[in-house]
Formats: sequence, structure tokens, C-alpha cells
Amino acid sequence: MYKTEVRGLLIEGDKSLGQITKDIVKPIDAKTPLWWYITLFISLSMFGFGIYCKYITVSVGIGTWGLNNSIGWGWAIINFVWWIGIGHAGTAFSIFLLILRQKWRTAINRAAEAMTVVAVMCAGLFPLLHMGRVWLFFYVLPYPNTRGPLWVNFNSPLFWDFVAISAYLLISASFWYFGMVPDFATIRDTTKSKIKKAVYGFFSFGWVGSSKEWLRYEALSFVLGGIAAVLVVSVHSIVSTDFAVSVEPGWHTTIFPPYFVVGAIFSGFAMVLTLVTIMRVMYKMNDFVTDSHIDAVARILVFISLIMGTAYVTEIFMAWYSGSEYEIYTFFHNRIFGIHAFQFWAMFISNAIVPQLFWFKKVRRKLWMVFVISIIINVGMWFERFNIVVTSLSRDYLPANWATYSPTWVELGFFVGTLGLFITGVLLFFRYIPMIAISEIKSVSKFNKPRKDYLKHTGHE
Amino acid sequence: MSKQRIVSVFNDEDKLVEAFEKIKAAGFKPEEVYTPYPIHEILEGMGKKTRITHAAFFYGLFGALAVLGFLYYAAVVSWPLNFGGKPFNSFPSFIVVTIVATILIVTLLTLFTFSARAKVFPGKKAELIHDRATDDKFVMVFTKDDLGKNLESLNKILKENGVEEVLEK
Repeated sequence: MYKTEVRGLLIEGDKSLGQITKDIVKPIDAKTPLWWYITLFISLSMFGFGIYCKYITVSVGIGTWGLNNSIGWGWAIINFVWWIGIGHAGTAFSIFLLILRQKWRTAINRAAEAMTVVAVMCAGLFPLLHMGRVWLFFYVLPYPNTRGPLWVNFNSPLFWDFVAISAYLLISASFWYFGMVPDFATIRDTTKSKIKKAVYGFFSFGWVGSSKEWLRYEALSFVLGGIAAVLVVSVHSIVSTDFAVSVEPGWHTTIFPPYFVVGAIFSGFAMVLTLVTIMRVMYKMNDFVTDSHIDAVARILVFISLIMGTAYVTEIFMAWYSGSEYEIYTFFHNRIFGIHAFQFWAMFISNAIVPQLFWFKKVRRKLWMVFVISIIINVGMWFERFNIVVTSLSRDYLPANWATYSPTWVELGFFVGTLGLFITGVLLFFRYIPMIAISEIKSVSKFNKPRKDYLKHTGHE
Repeated sequence: MSKQRIVSVFNDEDKLVEAFEKIKAAGFKPEEVYTPYPIHEILEGMGKKTRITHAAFFYGLFGALAVLGFLYYAAVVSWPLNFGGKPFNSFPSFIVVTIVATILIVTLLTLFTFSARAKVFPGKKAELIHDRATDDKFVMVFTKDDLGKNLESLNKILKENGVEEVLEK
């Protein structure tokens, strides 16, 4: 069973159950702070600018992007993979830690899942608009049609990707939502405002917390948890096959699926850390998201960073060991010492070297350092995707086809727009949804003070 | 509701579980227990079983067969297309879509099953027995008619185990 001695207190401040509800629901009942409006205004402006860039993309065409014949995948695919990677944290966090019975996840999983849903929405926009004629996107769906019926190519990783991303969005959103149903019921029953009672009452689906409901609820989360664990691993594996099944040097490697999955979880956990630090600073959730929670995530990041470093070195080693001149060229003359050296070293240092600072307890305990490192990891993971997408395409087999690539303002604006969408989503989450799973954190509150009579009960189980 | 109910309210989990086990030992059972979070002793003690996990298994089994069958139908029967000389029925590469689509099918169908069986669905009005049962109170509800002669022993057990209040509704 779970031992609190390992992790320290899960909730600080010896709170009663009622107090836990009050503390978590406080931001929903309190007056909206000024910084919230300011940030919302900024993020909505970013989002609006993004919409304008999407309008340009659709009305004029993909020609407004900096892509060319050699580099057909630019920022759109980089950002797609980046966002979908960030979107892996929520489910990874909830599900792997649920399966491993890590009780400390209860303080963070809600925020991580919320982030997942928004990040996957951001990610989905890129391939959608990359299609060029976005109004024909439904051609991707395999449905009986008047064109034959001509079906899609089920052997294509791009189709797999479409299936995986849409399934992932649906599943993570429903997993997140059903986790919130008991908490909505709590708000419904504790709030004094009539409007909130009605709104949260509607979204709580008539939940009352009876043993019949809880029994099936537990079974449901067991099933969803078990099955979504497979999904987390397979979604980013599928994203990696977009690259790995092609015969581009630097892409055509079997290490790609695990490398991508680990990278995704890495960037996702880093983003969770960023978000959780903001939760602590802006909403004073220190009692729930304690120093030891931050510490635990930071330790996981050290471990994953080591795997990332190993993956980078393995790729380089295999390029040399394969003896393939194209592989060697891509890795040594193009990435490590070549025109893309900056991006390569930005990736390597931010993902494999900087997170090693988390070995030191002093670093793990300083919130601003944790915050800065989490941002560095996010930037580094962006460079990893740049490295993969652009360096391989820019110089492959035929020197006559070599080209360089830089994004136009439209692509930049598209990316800024998704950042705006993400920040807007997170702000709305902070304001209107309990940012910590109330019922789950209540269920672990008893581990804070193991009493004699409690121990007796678990004894004869 | 015409049924007479006895509603006992507890302040913490331990007392509730203690009382619950004593009541069960005395040979009767509450009609329902309302708690802010799942308590395993109660879930097991209430004696209800759920077959959601079994249902999910069959959803997965039939979902996978359906998806594979569909891929086979589309790629082999309906409109076979030659993709680079690969066989029409390229089974190994169908597996990818099968796994992901099966997971989606299982998730959605299990959610609907949960919704139907636990009666938690959009538009349902909550029938609250005690309005703090989703916050910080643990509530055990008994039907007066079922209790019969046990009413006195129930009151005794409840008092002995630190019940906070007993209401009749």
C-alpha cells in the first residue's frame, strides 16, 4: 500500500473535507482578478491574429507559407508535433500514475488533463489547414461516397494519424469530463449563486454520490485508465511513423516510435510543471500542490531527460555505425556541425543537459528555477521537432534539390494564434472549473493522518 | 416520496465504516450510502457488483472485429486499389487503425453504459438526500419499512459510533 513517508504530506495544513472544497472552489466563487482579464485580453488578441493568419492561409493558399518543393513540411508540422507532445502529459499523468497507484497525482491530474484537451485542439488545427483546401477535409473520413466508393488508404500513416488524433481528442476530453462530474455536483451543492447552481447542476448530470454511482464510476475509470494507457503510447508512435516510414535520411529509423513517445511525455510533463507553478503562484494552491509534488515531477523529468539524451546519442551512433553516407551527412554535416548546428545544440542542451540540474534538491525546491527549466525544456522540445522536420528535408539525396526554409509571418501568426488559444483555454479552466480534482484529493486526505481505527480496517481486507 | 426514510449523517469516514460494519453484522443493510468520495469498504459491503469491466471487454472484442472487418471490406471487397504492389488485405498495417479505433469504441460505449447503469446523464435532476453529502458529510439512508424490528438496534449502533445527526424524511 501507499506509504506517506516516501512522499511527505499530500495535503498541507490539516484541512477538513469542507475546507478542501472551499479552498479549491474559491477561484470560481471569488471576484475575477484583474490579471486574469489582462491575460485573457492578450491571449484573445493572439488568438484573433491567428484566425486572421488562418484566413490568409485559406483564402490565398499554402503559398503564403515559407514552404518549397524540398521542404514541404515546415512550422505547421513542427508545431503540430510539438502541441500533440504537450497534449500527452494529461493522459500520461493521470493514467500511468493511476496504474502505478501514485496518490500524489490527485493534485495535478485535473490541470494536466485540461491542458491535454486544449493542446490537442491546437495540434489538430495544423494538419487541417496544411491540407490547403480545408473544406474538403472530410475526404479523409472513410465513408461510403459517390466517388466509387473510393476509400482512403488504410496503409498510410497520415490516415493513421487522423484516426489517432481524433480518437485521442475524444477520449481525453471524455475522460477529463467524467472526472469532473462529482466535482460539479460538489459546486452545485455548495454554491450560493442560483446561476451557478443551475449551470453546474446541469453539467453534474444529476450526480449524488451514492454507492451505486461510485461503484460504477470506479469501474469506469479502471477501464478508461487501462485502455487509454495503450492509446497514449500508440498516438505518438503513429505520429512518428509519419516520418519513420519515409526514406528520408534522419527519419528512416526504428528508434522513432519510443523516441517520440518519450519526447512527448517529456514536453508534456514540462508543460504540466509550468502550469502547476502558475497555479501555485497565482491561486496559492501551495497546500495541495506542495513542494514535494513539484519535487516528484522534477525527478521524473531528470529520468526522462536521461532517456532523451540516450536517444539523441543512439541516433548519432547509429548514423555513424550504419556507414550510410546520407545518414552520416545528415547527422554530422547538417545537424551537429552544419547549417542547423544552432537548432541541434539548442535541442541537445535544453533537453539532455539543462534538466540534469534537477538532480540537485536546491534547484528542485526553488520555484522560479523549476519554472525557468520547464520553459527551457518546452523550447528545447520545439527545437527537436524543428531539427527532425527541417534538417532532414533541407539536404537529402540530390544536391540539386537542396533548399533552406524560413517561416513567413503567416506561419508565425498561426503559431501565435494557437498559443493564444492554449492560454485562453487554460485561463477559462482556472476560472470556471475546479483546478484540482476535489473528490480525488479528498479520498487521499486520510493518508495524511493514519489513525489507529483506520489501520484496523485496512488490516482485515 | 411516501417511503419513510431514516437518514444518518456522519462526520468522517472511519465512523461511517465502523457503523456500517456493525450494522451489517447485526443482519441488516442501509438502503444507500452517499459519500463525497468512493470508500471501498462501503462499495464492497453494499454487495452490489458491476459488470462494466466485462461489458468493456466485449465491446473491445466486437469493436476490433468490426473495425478489421470494415477495413477488409473497404480495401479488398468494395474497391481494391493497388498501393505499390502491396496485397489488398495488408493485415499488419490494418492493425494500427484497429487498435486506435477499438480504443475509441470501448471508451465511448463504456461511457454510455456507465451513464445508463449509474443513471448519470445530461438533464437529470439530482435527488439529494442530504445537501452536504457531496461536500463533507457521509450519509447512510435506511428505509423504515425494511427495518421493522431492527429500528431500535439501529439507533443504538448509530449512537455508539458517533453519528452526528439522525433525520427522518
